[in-house]
Amino acid sequence: MRLQPDQFWGYFEWLFVQGGLLNGFLLTIALALIGFLVSYLVALARSGPVEGFYAISKTISSLFREDLPHTSLRRIWAIAKLSFKEAIRRKVLAVVGIFIVGMMFAGWYLNKQADEPAKLYMSFVLTVTNYMVILLGLFVSAFSLPAEIKSRTIYTIVTKPVRPTEIFIGRVVGFGMIGTLVLFILGTMSYFFVERGIRHQHVVASSSSDGLSGVTSQDAEHKHTFTLGEDGIGVTDEQKGHKHKVVKSGDKFVVGDPAGNLIARVPIYGKFQFLEADGKEGLGKSVGYESEYQKYIEGNTLESAIWTFDGVTERAFPTGLRMEMTLAAFRTFKGDIVTGVQGVIILRNPDGSCETERNQFSIREFQVDEKQFSRKMKGFRGKEAAELDLFKDLAPNGKIEVIVRCLDKGQYMGMAPADLFLRAGDAPFLWNFIKGYIGIWLQMMIVICFGIMFSTFLSGPVAMIATIACLVLGFFGSVASDMLSGKAAGGGPVEALIRIPTQMGVMTDLDIGNESVANIVKVVDGAIIRALITVTAALPDFRSLYTADFVAYGVNIFGGLLGRHITIAFGYFVLTGIVGYFFLKTREMAA
Amino acid sequence: MSVSTAPSPSAAPAADSENTIIETRSLSKIYRDFWGRKKVQALKPLDIDVRKGEIFGLLGPNGSGKSTTIKLILGLLFPSSGRAFVFGKEAGDVSKNERIGYLPEESYLYKFLNAEETLDFYGRLFDMPAAVRRQRSEELIQMVGLQKARRRQLREYSKGMTRRIGLAQALINEPDLLVLDEPTTGLDPIGSREMKDLILRLRDQGKTILMCSHQLTDVQDVCDRIAILHQGDLKELGRVDSLLKVRDVTEVHARGLSEDAKREIAEVIKKHGGNLVQMDNPTSTMEELFLDIVRESEQRPGHRGTGA
Repeated sequence: MRLQPDQFWGYFEWLFVQGGLLNGFLLTIALALIGFLVSYLVALARSGPVEGFYAISKTISSLFREDLPHTSLRRIWAIAKLSFKEAIRRKVLAVVGIFIVGMMFAGWYLNKQADEPAKLYMSFVLTVTNYMVILLGLFVSAFSLPAEIKSRTIYTIVTKPVRPTEIFIGRVVGFGMIGTLVLFILGTMSYFFVERGIRHQHVVASSSSDGLSGVTSQDAEHKHTFTLGEDGIGVTDEQKGHKHKVVKSGDKFVVGDPAGNLIARVPIYGKFQFLEADGKEGLGKSVGYESEYQKYIEGNTLESAIWTFDGVTERAFPTGLRMEMTLAAFRTFKGDIVTGVQGVIILRNPDGSCETERNQFSIREFQVDEKQFSRKMKGFRGKEAAELDLFKDLAPNGKIEVIVRCLDKGQYMGMAPADLFLRAGDAPFLWNFIKGYIGIWLQMMIVICFGIMFSTFLSGPVAMIATIACLVLGFFGSVASDMLSGKAAGGGPVEALIRIPTQMGVMTDLDIGNESVANIVKVVDGAIIRALITVTAALPDFRSLYTADFVAYGVNIFGGLLGRHITIAFGYFVLTGIVGYFFLKTREMAA
Repeated sequence: MSVSTAPSPSAAPAADSENTIIETRSLSKIYRDFWGRKKVQALKPLDIDVRKGEIFGLLGPNGSGKSTTIKLILGLLFPSSGRAFVFGKEAGDVSKNERIGYLPEESYLYKFLNAEETLDFYGRLFDMPAAVRRQRSEELIQMVGLQKARRRQLREYSKGMTRRIGLAQALINEPDLLVLDEPTTGLDPIGSREMKDLILRLRDQGKTILMCSHQLTDVQDVCDRIAILHQGDLKELGRVDSLLKVRDVTEVHARGLSEDAKREIAEVIKKHGGNLVQMDNPTSTMEELFLDIVRESEQRPGHRGTGA
């Protein structure tokens, strides 16, 4: 999992600086304008220019003057309860049964030899749960209102003093409750499934003559080595993402349960910059398609990558500075393949008054490399060698710079802002797990809102397809912008229609014998893609709402990110609610 | 043929705005297809007033526009032109529903709820507090006689029971106006009689009732005023008793007359220049016969000897 820079924006940074609020506002305005225009055209056809305008104004004002103020919690609750019962009657709890059956067989197929089984198990259950509850939300929400209109039970509702707002909100609440119930059951089962899947025991297979080190038995496709302290207590090495505690009592060893595979690291991210060899701020070197995400610094030069962290205090790091890195290497020649590409880390006071010695390391590619810096370090105060204190000398006001350079001449080291972070402590895993499920829950609620909105004016199957279309566009919206920027080769839909039957490779220029025709194709494609981008901009970006990876990869889901997703989901609830309101208000229930 | 008078002629209310519960002004409805092309004119411009405390019947064959009128008045359909007012408010206004009880043509209720849950649900829709809902549900279940079936799901109900719970839900808010769409369809003669008695009782409590039916006897038995619709057109509007009164025929009912006496009466009629149309023993209606048998059977259960 790679964190994108936008994922560690703070909540208010996102809302005010990065344009979260502005985007929501623009979307609302655009929707209002389009809605007004379309409904005016309909009203114009129905009752003429003046009457039509009057009718629309009346509907809009009735939302704020009549229906919202008179919306009653008791009626919402009545409809919610009814929707809940209806969903139960439609046997949605069968989903739980399907999940149990899936779980029973999943154990056969999940690779026990995987490097980190906990991640595998976790992302498996989270992904399956995510798809299942989204499908569940889709079905219950898209079919309910059309079914009521068809069976005419809606007659007995709308002839009571029930407001359209209550019909919409009541349904959202009711289906939300059923989804929450299902999600709760699936979540609980998943937790125990993963817990049970990764739990295993070792015994000590052989130990050294002094009894303070040894090797455990081979269990769950791996074994550990361990060394104990004088007191007879120690931990094993890390295998498959976990360690065991080993305690010696008398002649016997007791190996504890696996620890460290279900964690929620709390990363502290810093401000990131590249420095060119001449000391000026740069952008880092691009190595082309190899890696778009990371930029590179050249070895054996003064090029460096600098992270500036805040909040380095004694309270946050009582045992010294813990750091995790996921740096990449780009080789221009084979080099020393045993030790790998070498680099150094230097910690520096941002005012430049003192810095540590160079701490050499070799890159461990494609895995998380942990570094631990103790409180007292050797370094330089000015030019003089000195013993430095982490909190007094290097980070007197909580700020510290981490400088990384590459040592090997002709080799490159790659990094992105999220590739190096400080790890203050761990958040409780269970809470992170719950936050992951809240993310899934939010996606489900958005789907439910869209499903209900579409079902206010479309029949059940059509409403479902429309909701699926929104989901797909929301998931793959970024593909459209890649097509426009040329990142995704092969052009737009029309171009693809020409390339596929003529078996033309996607990397070649479009050659159809006539330049102007090719240009027309490109212009048409551009228009289609732009339209697609406009539409997807209005839809929720389901990919960014997907936070299950955080849980699987053991990274704490930041409060700011969760808050942002809650805000986005609420925004869509309001928008779909308004659209649904107008359709409910203006449709003939008996037609 | 003898013509009996309509039951309980109530005092005609004054046609002022306070006493007008429902008012339609050139109300019409055209059903259109997707492209806006006219398919059928279900209702031609209709002007009726329903006054406070009366039972107003909409009468007509299938497809005459009765149900369309009711749906327009309830706001389930929007008029193509003209307007409808209920309690002085536009038909589309939700707040008018606070004082309306509606029994649809078939009871479109939630089959997975039982009687208590159904009434509780509709009570909530009127924003009634829990204690009031409980009390009201209890009264209504007693009133429609569903005590034994109160905890059974509606899917298990017979047609008559469904009708009764439908009526109960329409009465949950003690409405001032009851709109009944074909209230007696699907009911057996006893149920039908009870329904009609109930309608009359509700009228006597001061409620206004708008009903539509194609069961002529129902309309005749309970309605104070009727409108007869045919193919969306209003054909007749007025008080039932005056519409049905045959002005040039006199009806006399007497008991214990001898054949001589009858002959003498015929003579008298002839002497006064009258034309004797019919003098006969009246036949009872099937409904009365049926009700008599059932009543007797309830008092003395067992096999009943068939009469000669």
